[in-house]
Amino acid sequence: MQKVITINLNGNAYQIDEQGYAVLVAYLEQAEQKLAGNPDRAEILADLEQAIAEKCQRFLSAQKNVVSDAEVDQIIAEMGPVERPSETTAGQNAPGGDHARTSGAPRRLYLVKEGAMIAGVCNGIAAFIGVDATIIRIVFLILVFLTKGFWALVYGVLMFVIPSANTAEERAAAHGEPFNAQELIDRAKKSYADMGGPTWSGNWRANWRRQQRAWRRQQRAAARASWWPAPPVTPAPHVNYATRIGAGVLIPVFSLVSAAAFLAFAYAGASLVMSREAFGRPLPLEVPLWVGLLVLFVVYHAIAGSLHAARRASYYAVGGYHYGIVAAWDGLLWVGFAIVMAWIAYQTVPEVRDLVNGLPGFWDVLRTTWDR
Amino acid sequence: MSVQEKFSAIRKGLLEFLILKIIASDKVYVADMLQRLGRTEFATQEGTLYPLLSKMRREGLVDYEWQESDAGPPRKYYELTARGKTQLAELNAYWKDINTTVNQLGR
Repeated sequence: MQKVITINLNGNAYQIDEQGYAVLVAYLEQAEQKLAGNPDRAEILADLEQAIAEKCQRFLSAQKNVVSDAEVDQIIAEMGPVERPSETTAGQNAPGGDHARTSGAPRRLYLVKEGAMIAGVCNGIAAFIGVDATIIRIVFLILVFLTKGFWALVYGVLMFVIPSANTAEERAAAHGEPFNAQELIDRAKKSYADMGGPTWSGNWRANWRRQQRAWRRQQRAAARASWWPAPPVTPAPHVNYATRIGAGVLIPVFSLVSAAAFLAFAYAGASLVMSREAFGRPLPLEVPLWVGLLVLFVVYHAIAGSLHAARRASYYAVGGYHYGIVAAWDGLLWVGFAIVMAWIAYQTVPEVRDLVNGLPGFWDVLRTTWDR
Repeated sequence: MSVQEKFSAIRKGLLEFLILKIIASDKVYVADMLQRLGRTEFATQEGTLYPLLSKMRREGLVDYEWQESDAGPPRKYYELTARGKTQLAELNAYWKDINTTVNQLGR
């Protein structure tokens, strides 16, 4: 059982299978992208829609009023990928810049997950410079040994600074390959399957059961989401390459600031208990200690909360589908920064050392305040 | 590399010339052009042809007019402009020169 979608192609209504619809949408979107900057874009798109509509007409009759997904595939294959005219002619009057841009697909550094060992860093670099991934892996391993492990940290940083290739177009760009119609169809089908769309296998009963199971799974996930926040399942919004790199760089910065804020407030809390002052300001005598601690806690949460939101936004931009891994890495980074900074503060700031050395008395102070 | 691949750039480059030739012979609509090219080495697809025709129209080589069709919505029928005709004459002459050169060189 396949859902049918009614579409409007240049003014004509057609009914097509849901999966065929996904392919059609992907084709037209790619055409639109390819024609970006073309002054006749709207007109060419209308022409293409008209051509698709006429091809649909061929598959329809009085007995058959739905275009199947296989037929849509065939139509798209007949249409062929939309090309810029400067690619099809020798470009005798095209300015050099435009011709150079279209003659070779842009090549960009991405994480390549297909055949990756860890995160696809080496694989991505290999695709970028066009050598075998094994060579890059060996070079990385040698570097790890030579730098006594420091290079592994570099790998960790690269893993989050290099954006991952999530779409077929980005995967093609990672290898510097042009993006063609067949890949587009594959991509549309894959994203359709990922969304949990039913795939027609000729047996509606099996298909119906599969849908039921998927529905129950969704229900359980929804029930679980009320107390266990599920990672976002929607595909990552399309964030451009520069933003993703920026976010990759920002994650460690946000972690550092968050860890610093945490330590500052931990220090303020301890000194509030030990000597009734925080950040060099004494607590007024008439204010009880617990009110001071509460105020400190509220201020900390206001600051930490906004930092946390900024960090989440960054992971989302970087991670996309791998949101959870990015978040976990950020957590580790946070703890690491906190430990290192606490150690540095202990070594260099005498007040901090006094405070930490005085900590065994902390509970006694707290208890006497409570009893009073 | 197959013979076809070796000449792929040449086939692409000749496409505009061939379309000018087809349009010069008759008022045609895109499906007609595709059909006429489909039987040759220069078979192409809508995805290539529509952007190319729009570029040629911007350069003032071709123009189109809407004509009612007996089946379905009106269609765009293309025809050559005066500039398209001069361009075609130039390309034809140049093509003849190339042909002569190819035939005369070597064996």
